Amino acid sequence: MDYGKLVDLVSSDKRGALSSKLADVVLLSKNDEKMPSELANTILRLWQLGTMGSESGLIALLEAAVLLEPVKTADVFTELGLSELAVQIKEASPKT
Amino acid sequence: MVRFGIEFVPREPYWKIVFYVIQAERGGFSNLWVTDHFNNRNVYVTLTAAAIHTSKITLGPGVTNPYMVNPVFTAQAIATLNELAPGRCVLGLGAGDKTTLETVGVQMEKPLAAVHEAVDIFRKIISGESVAYRGEVFKTAGARFLFKPRANIAVYVGAQGPKMLELAGRIGDGVLINACHPKDVEYAVNCVKEGVRQAGKKLDEVDVAAYTSFSVHEDLKKATKAAVPVVSFIVAGSPSVLLERHGIDVKKAEEIREALKANDWGRAFSGVVPEMIEAFSVCGTPDTCIERISQLLKSGITQFVVGSPIGPNVREAINLISAKIIPHFQS
Repeated sequence: MDYGKLVDLVSSDKRGALSSKLADVVLLSKNDEKMPSELANTILRLWQLGTMGSESGLIALLEAAVLLEPVKTADVFTELGLSELAVQIKEASPKT
Repeated sequence: MVRFGIEFVPREPYWKIVFYVIQAERGGFSNLWVTDHFNNRNVYVTLTAAAIHTSKITLGPGVTNPYMVNPVFTAQAIATLNELAPGRCVLGLGAGDKTTLETVGVQMEKPLAAVHEAVDIFRKIISGESVAYRGEVFKTAGARFLFKPRANIAVYVGAQGPKMLELAGRIGDGVLINACHPKDVEYAVNCVKEGVRQAGKKLDEVDVAAYTSFSVHEDLKKATKAAVPVVSFIVAGSPSVLLERHGIDVKKAEEIREALKANDWGRAFSGVVPEMIEAFSVCGTPDTCIERISQLLKSGITQFVVGSPIGPNVREAINLISAKIIPHFQS
C-alpha cells in the first residue's frame, strides 16, 4: 500500500485527529511483535521532533497501525468520515 | 515547588515507553523512573532508549536492588548512562521485592545492611575510587573502574518500613516513599526526618518523593477501574498493620491474596473495595487528584511520582496531567 498517497487524500482539518487516533491504535495494540524496530525508531524520532501530525509522521503512524491493527485502523478512517480510504485499507491489509 | 516524576514498568516494549516519556518530558515532568524486575524487559536498555530521545528529563532505575545486581554493575550501568545523558542520571535503589527474589532463589537477607553497603560501594566506585570494602553483605577487594566516571550521581533510596525510611533519610540524596495516602506519607516523612536529623543534614537537602499508584481520567469510574488491578497487588502485599491503619478488613485482603496466587484475576479484582482504592492509590478526575496531591504536599514531599497504571489510557492521562495537574502546582 502507498501510505503517502493515502495520507495525501486526508484533508488538513482531519490530520490532527487522525494522528491522535492512530497513535492510540498503535500504543494500545497487543501485537507488539509485529512492529519493525526501524519503523518504531522512525516514529520516536518524528514524535521527538513534534512532527507526528506532518505528512511523514502520519505515513509512519499509518504504516505501523496497519501492520499492528488493520481492522481498527480502517475503523478509525470510518469514524473520521473517510469511508473510501477505510475500504482501501481493508482491501490492502495483511491477512492474519 | 513540587516536581513531577513518572514511573514506567518495562513490561511494555521500549518504543511504547519512550513514546510516553517524550510526551511526559514535553508536558512538564522532571523525572523518569523505570522499574527493575528480571521478569520484565531490561531497565537500562529502556533508560538508554529514553535518554536518546529526550534532552531534559532526569532518569534512573526506580528502583533496582543489590541482591539481583551487584552494586558495582549498577554503578557501571549508571556511569555509562551518564555519558549518554550527562547530568541527567540518578540511581534509585531499594531492598527489592521479596516474592520476586525468591522466585530466583535469592534470599532478602539483612536488607538494611545490603542497601546501606550497596550505596556506599556505588558512591565510592563511581567517584573513581578503588574500593576495598568489607561489609556484612558485600565485600570488594580493590574494585575500580578502568574508565573515569563523569560525575557524582544522586542516590535515591526506595523505602516503605520505618527503619528503611530512616536509613534513606540518613544516607540518601533522595527518598522514594512507596505510599499514596496522606496518613502513610506523613508517617514516612517523619521517619525520613529522623534519619536526616541523625545525619546532621537538613530536610531540604533531601528530595523526598511520594511514589504512588496513580490513575486519572475525566470519568471517575474509568479512573477507578484502571487502578483496581494495581491496588489488588498492593493490598495483597501489605502487612496487617498497614491494612488496619486504613480500616481494611484483613480477611478481605487475604481473600485477594489467595485469588492472586491462584491467578484468579476476576475474583481478586472484584474483592477490591473503595477503602482500598482510597488507601493505596491516587485516583480520580484531575480535580480529585489535585486535592490529594495538595494533601500529600503538606507532609513535606518535594517530588510526586505518577506510577502505574497512570490512567486507563496512558497517552490521554499524560495529556491530562500536563494540561491540568502540573500547571495547578506551578501557578
